[in-house]
Amino acid sequence: MAKHNSADLEVSLPWAGKQVETTEVEEQLSRLWRLAADNVRIGQNMNVRTSVLNFVICAPDAETARQASALIRDLSSTHIARLTLLIFDTRLPSAVSTWVTLRSFPIISDLMRHHFEQITVMTTGSAAYASADIIQRFLKPDLPVYLWWLNDPAESVIFSRLAGISSRVIVDSNSFFAPQQGIESLLALLQDLPGTALSDLNWGRITPWRNLVAQFFDSQEYIPYLGGVNRIEIEHAVAPLAGHIRTEQGDISPNPTRALLFAGWLKASLNWRLVDAPLSRQLDPMTGSYTWQLTRTTGPLMVSAATSDEMHGGRTGKLGYSGEATLTIRPRVQPNLRPGTLCYLRLTSDLNTTHATFTINREEDADHVLTSVELAHGTRPRRVVSLAATQKVGQLLHDELEIMGRDQLYETSLRHVFEMLS
Amino acid sequence: MPQRSAIEAPNPFREGLRIKQSPEPCVMVIFGATGDLTHRKLLPALYNLALEHPLPAGFSVVGFARRPYDDEIFRQQALDAINAYSRQKPVNPQVWESFASGIHYLQSNFYDPEGYEKLNNLLNMLDHERGTGGNRIFYLSTPPSQYPEIIQRLGAAGLNRNRKGWTRLIIEKPFGHDLASARELNRQVGKVFKEDQIYRIDHYLGKETVQNILVFRLANGIFEPVWNRRYVDHIQITVAEDIGIEGRGGYYEEAGAIRDMVQNHMLQLLTLVAMEPPITFEANAVRDEKVKVLHALQPLTGRDVVTNTIRAQYGPGWVGGRQVPGYLEEPGVSPTSTTETYVALKLFVDNWRWAGVPFYLRTGKHLPKRVTEIAIQFKQAPLMIFKRSEAQGQVEPNVLTLRIQPDEGISLKFGAKVPGTDMQIRSVNMDFFYGSSFVREQPEAYERLLLDCMLGDSTLFTRRDEVEAQWTFIQGILDEWQNEPPSTILTYEAGTWGPQAADEFIWRDGHRWRRP
Repeated sequence: MAKHNSADLEVSLPWAGKQVETTEVEEQLSRLWRLAADNVRIGQNMNVRTSVLNFVICAPDAETARQASALIRDLSSTHIARLTLLIFDTRLPSAVSTWVTLRSFPIISDLMRHHFEQITVMTTGSAAYASADIIQRFLKPDLPVYLWWLNDPAESVIFSRLAGISSRVIVDSNSFFAPQQGIESLLALLQDLPGTALSDLNWGRITPWRNLVAQFFDSQEYIPYLGGVNRIEIEHAVAPLAGHIRTEQGDISPNPTRALLFAGWLKASLNWRLVDAPLSRQLDPMTGSYTWQLTRTTGPLMVSAATSDEMHGGRTGKLGYSGEATLTIRPRVQPNLRPGTLCYLRLTSDLNTTHATFTINREEDADHVLTSVELAHGTRPRRVVSLAATQKVGQLLHDELEIMGRDQLYETSLRHVFEMLS
Repeated sequence: MPQRSAIEAPNPFREGLRIKQSPEPCVMVIFGATGDLTHRKLLPALYNLALEHPLPAGFSVVGFARRPYDDEIFRQQALDAINAYSRQKPVNPQVWESFASGIHYLQSNFYDPEGYEKLNNLLNMLDHERGTGGNRIFYLSTPPSQYPEIIQRLGAAGLNRNRKGWTRLIIEKPFGHDLASARELNRQVGKVFKEDQIYRIDHYLGKETVQNILVFRLANGIFEPVWNRRYVDHIQITVAEDIGIEGRGGYYEEAGAIRDMVQNHMLQLLTLVAMEPPITFEANAVRDEKVKVLHALQPLTGRDVVTNTIRAQYGPGWVGGRQVPGYLEEPGVSPTSTTETYVALKLFVDNWRWAGVPFYLRTGKHLPKRVTEIAIQFKQAPLMIFKRSEAQGQVEPNVLTLRIQPDEGISLKFGAKVPGTDMQIRSVNMDFFYGSSFVREQPEAYERLLLDCMLGDSTLFTRRDEVEAQWTFIQGILDEWQNEPPSTILTYEAGTWGPQAADEFIWRDGHRWRRP
């Protein structure tokens, strides 16, 4: 159990391994590797050591750091070369404490084990502001640095300096109590650090929904309806209690960030524009309800080719359809779902005189959604899709650690969300 | 809906998604749907695709076979098969129900025109009710002797081409029994289907680790410059099985190791190792380069076959802690059978890249362990500066090993100095475990291949000229073996790495077989 004695700064983190002087970290790690190699010589485990990245986790307190450390077990497949857990507290006297350990997970039974290094660093007082410099010496060369920031990305010198040495910053907008401010902070980061990529676990949560939407229009039969989409409705789960709250489980409700990201993505993909007119947007963050009036300036580009029955050959370009559109986000009270969970999407399309709807709906079943397409001339078979309401953080993190380079689509969607909320 | 034909725009929602495209709804008609392959591989693969939802709503399966089943019985059979063989268990009941609603069965023999008429009607109904849009895949999961009949009947019923949608044909190996039968089958299939409709499966190509061969070679700049005769001493390709013929005596007696493994899987592995980089990663560009390798194989005919091949049968022995009978004692095997269960070959690729580099291939049943690997042994360092030191004799050649299964991965053997005051060199292995590294659940080969066929991507399927080139090479060996007395078929004890003669076969070149 972690002890934190603020009076004399004696800190015990048994899960973090052996406490050493900062200057002795590398030597201690070498010792640990030699011990691991001894196991190989006496015929026990085979060591697997393939290095892909430096992973820095910045936690607000020791318990959060411990929980994050436990998650790493799920990430052994990403071949973290070295994990640095950073805990900082500016309120305490200035000090730097370090612990080292070698983490080991079986890969194939216990015959083969994957090892990586874990360094835990606690910086307090003025040392906290130099965290980025302090941990630089621990970063393995030639490997990218991925920073998982377990706080809100509030304006913070510590955060921006750490982000400055990172190839990628990972946040979770699901924890933003004030979505607009949180998103604004993220956009500021992107602007200030063009060389740093940004990942959001919440974006990963909506990826399965994005896949399902994309699947509708992979069918040649349905893609013409894309140009006629004029209404989007999204619902997200909220707690039964009214008002902007944190539940007993620590969830924020209403928590529309996922729905907002989803909406931003849809708006960006369909190239819709906000209408600059009074009453064109109705935003109620207290209930998690939002409505926007937009203009549809383009649909999919279509080039019409004359059929053999027609008089003329030749081609004409046609930029889809234009007109008005509505985008709505609504709360749905669904007690079996955690606040923020996406529950419903409907795209309504009117093309010439043809009407179609494309729906994804999660009802009482927390593990499945139902996709359906209704056309003017009939309903297509419905499909039940396995899509868990709650995804493991470890899996979301794993997906983000596999990404190299900037996620332009996420950044674009984020900008659209900011525009919609401004 | 627009009436004029239009060039379709890309789906804007696909941008940024890992899955670049999901298939359009289609119907997969499985001929021989009550057989082993359908239950062990196809239905589980389709279910897993439905579970991980690359499969679109409306996807349907029609089982076409002789047994007197109906839709319900076939669906129950499918569920039993998925419960038994799916890589993801237990079966998700909601997803199963949704998937099963698209499963149908048609009882017919393969010779009855009425059966194909009923099939046509059923497919039209599925187009209407499930939105399958005229898209069809016909999967021949029957004994090869049935292929010509089915194909001809499909053509006669007009099922080979649609007014709307696409039609594709998947054919399982073995594709022919020899060169003549392969050409004849190609001719018969080609009369009914165009080449771009034909998907010849070699499931090895669906394995992640086999696909990784090209990625490894071509995504890393350090390997290609040494991937040639100047630096490579020889290459060994091993496909070893620890199992016997598993009761399939009837099939194996007609096939033998050279048809079962060498003609298809091993030559595919060889082409991936030996080919030139394609100009793009599109199906025909890749297959063009593979065919060039096959055409460049130095033919083995006449006396060359005798000196460059070894064939053997397993005798009784111990494998995996069990005592096993010899091949000639297996059910369904003639006591005077001359079918080989082990083959070793030495062959050469006569082109600028590989001239003079021997490729050693070996495969067999009831070997000590199941392993598939490709080992590239490099030439010794040219300058032996350690000649007069104690390190003399300790320097071993570098070996790059691509492990296809199990322990999927790559290892590189190189020499390193042992810490100490004297000059001691020890070989060490640098290992990358692919299959355990990316612990994300690996799709089965059939899942990848079926999905690729639905997407119209034939990169991982064998082309007509590729099949015929493979058979052309193998035919020379088969012809010579026919002329040799049965005494040339050696015996090896089950559980060993093959006959002694196979060791001598490689020793005379100054090499030795790897112990995988």
